[in-house]
Amino acid sequence: MVRLEAVSKRFPKGGGVQEVDLAVEEGEVFALLGASGSGKTTLLNLVAGLLLPDAGHVYLAGRRVTHLPPERRGVGYVFQDQSLWPHMTALEHLLLVMPRPDRRRAMALLERLGMGEHAHKRPHELSGGQRQRVALARALAREPKVILMDEPYSALDPVLREELRREVRTLLKDLGITALHVTHDPEEAMLLADRVGVVHGGRMLQVGTPQELYERPNSLEAFLAFGRGNVFLLDGEVLAFRQEWVRPGGSLKGLVRERRILRGEVLCRVDLPFGEAWVRLDAWPGEEASLEISPLLRLPRRPEGEEGAVGE
Amino acid sequence: MDRHLAQLALGALLALPLLHLLARGTPLLPGTLRDLDVVGASLVLAGAGTLLALGMGLGLAVAAVWGRVGGFWESLLLLGYLVPPFVTGMGVLFSFQAFGIAIQGVPGILLAWTLHYTPLAYLLLKPQVRLALGLLTAARVHGVTGARGLGVVLPPLLPALAVAGGGLYLALLGNFGVPAVLGTPAGVYVLPTLAYTRLMSPFATDPLGQAAALGIWLTLLALPAVLLARPGILEARETPLPPGGGPYRLVYGLYALLALALILLGLLREALQNPYTGAFQPAFAQALALPLVQAGLRNSLLLALLTVGLLLALALALRPFPQVLRRIRSLLDLYYLLPGTLLGLGLILLLAPTPLYGTPWILLLAYLLNFAALALRALEGGPRVEGAVAVGRVHGLPPWRSWWRLGYPLLWPSAFAGAFLILPLAFSEITLSALLYAPGSETVGVAVLSALNGGLYREGAALGLVLMGISALGLLGRPRW
Repeated sequence: MVRLEAVSKRFPKGGGVQEVDLAVEEGEVFALLGASGSGKTTLLNLVAGLLLPDAGHVYLAGRRVTHLPPERRGVGYVFQDQSLWPHMTALEHLLLVMPRPDRRRAMALLERLGMGEHAHKRPHELSGGQRQRVALARALAREPKVILMDEPYSALDPVLREELRREVRTLLKDLGITALHVTHDPEEAMLLADRVGVVHGGRMLQVGTPQELYERPNSLEAFLAFGRGNVFLLDGEVLAFRQEWVRPGGSLKGLVRERRILRGEVLCRVDLPFGEAWVRLDAWPGEEASLEISPLLRLPRRPEGEEGAVGE
Repeated sequence: MDRHLAQLALGALLALPLLHLLARGTPLLPGTLRDLDVVGASLVLAGAGTLLALGMGLGLAVAAVWGRVGGFWESLLLLGYLVPPFVTGMGVLFSFQAFGIAIQGVPGILLAWTLHYTPLAYLLLKPQVRLALGLLTAARVHGVTGARGLGVVLPPLLPALAVAGGGLYLALLGNFGVPAVLGTPAGVYVLPTLAYTRLMSPFATDPLGQAAALGIWLTLLALPAVLLARPGILEARETPLPPGGGPYRLVYGLYALLALALILLGLLREALQNPYTGAFQPAFAQALALPLVQAGLRNSLLLALLTVGLLLALALALRPFPQVLRRIRSLLDLYYLLPGTLLGLGLILLLAPTPLYGTPWILLLAYLLNFAALALRALEGGPRVEGAVAVGRVHGLPPWRSWWRLGYPLLWPSAFAGAFLILPLAFSEITLSALLYAPGSETVGVAVLSALNGGLYREGAALGLVLMGISALGLLGRPRW
């Protein structure tokens, strides 16, 4: 449904994306995961037509749209800052973008998103969560085949974020809409996406299901994109494992140095033969622990300065 | 390349009046060496007026920030800037006359300029003063006091002072109305009034050439301020200020009231009281019955409305192409920054051989060129507009519909503010009108000047009050300034 073919875009002040290939299937929710400045939003804007690539091609529903203006690409877009029109009510937002304005359908969509009673309010009269729902309703109003979402929940509080994430996933699946969802939050990517693409330094490092990426990252950057972990440099080789991949009872010996409780989990700082690591383990300082680490990843890349425990 | 050529051609076309003026005036430049005293007077007066207005504006900005002044009092102060400068001059003249003081000459000019341009200096300086005082507060919290505090305050303030000073100097150098009302009757000339006098003189051998040569002096005095690169203004987040002080508010309020009273009371007394009998006898009816005034009001209203309408239409048409808009505006900035006398003389030289000369259309052209930069600037802002239009296009709206339904509605407040800023300025315009009017196309500014020159002081004062009232319309656009 969405296909990028060796797409590159450079900006005069640096940044951009380089030779990105991507294929998102029809009805799939695809997350682009990466840190700030990695090029995720640039990819979204290239698909939307807000940017034109320096090289490569963009396809939507099998049609090459690389140089089509945004209004002829038929996508919906939920912007990070919502970008609502301050002079229009929620209902007017929907009516304006519908090819054939249909008041009843617009109201039905707003009601489905819990915004029925706020249909005649302008953005400044709505809360952050309500504005996000209007932005989503606007993106869906023209019945797009593809919806683009740029960190849509980043400005919301955790409870609302969780609630909206679930609602949106259900809605997208019900409507069978293909979604390209940008996020820097690995948890969000895992909860929402059928597949995830890890973007780093303007390149697509790895594409796979959340589980594949979590368990079998192909690079240190892809490993770190999914959050907490321990990384070690050993004779030019990079060893990496996540805190939760450590279990008691193995042959690996370590001395517990520190014990902390974070988000309801007991974590210990342990001296291991190859260095110091934070692991999920219920032990006390001074105790010697027998541990098993599985899987223990051997990764091909070693960025400068990456040594010892990373993350928590 | 084509785009650069087009830009160059447009620039040359727009600069044509100025180029004509330079070509006509240069051969006669040696003959103006006898006018070097006026060149010096223009420089010194504009410099001194700039320092006075800058000092007062800075003081008021500090008082406003420390005293948390806003709303009503700020509007009262800004009203002083919206009143046409020559009306300020008349107000000062009549107010002092009431006490038997003849204020004409250098003191009168400087006082009227200070009263008129201090609000402008205040407007230009206040944002940076707010920033500087916030930084000073933060420094004080960390024990920085006394002279060391200057190290915190000056870096954000100096560039703003330079920018405001440059703008004020250009405005004062080109001001015609105040020296015409307060200088010429006392034999004190500056370059704009001398050029006007030469142009109107029945004894001058080549009035146009001599006026053009004086225009070159004016250009030479103005150019350094125009060419001066705009210094970078430091930007920082505003830091909190300590609780506001009542005395600052009091000083601010007193100045705003006094400045307005100095302009208003003299005009009121002159317009409302019969000087011979002392009886209450308003002169409005007599003033409005004068055929010249009626023609002036009609012409000024038409010219102002046409100017605003055409310029806003141009600005709105160019708005979807922000780069083109910015380029054209930067070319037209020249006519807003440079003294109006230069544009007026340039247009006479350029259009005298054409049928346009001596008609109201030459005035309209002059107004359009003079106020274009203001209109384009009013619509240049609105950073969210492009974003809103782009969002509309992403959701399927064609570009023209996206602008019509999303971009333009968001720009209406800016257009409204621009209209209410330009309308009173154009209505009360005097520099260009005095140079370019022909019998039948007199403006209200010309009518007031004629009334004063003809000894109809009461009628002139009454018209001044009418213009003050109309100028107050500009306050309607204030939230967007």
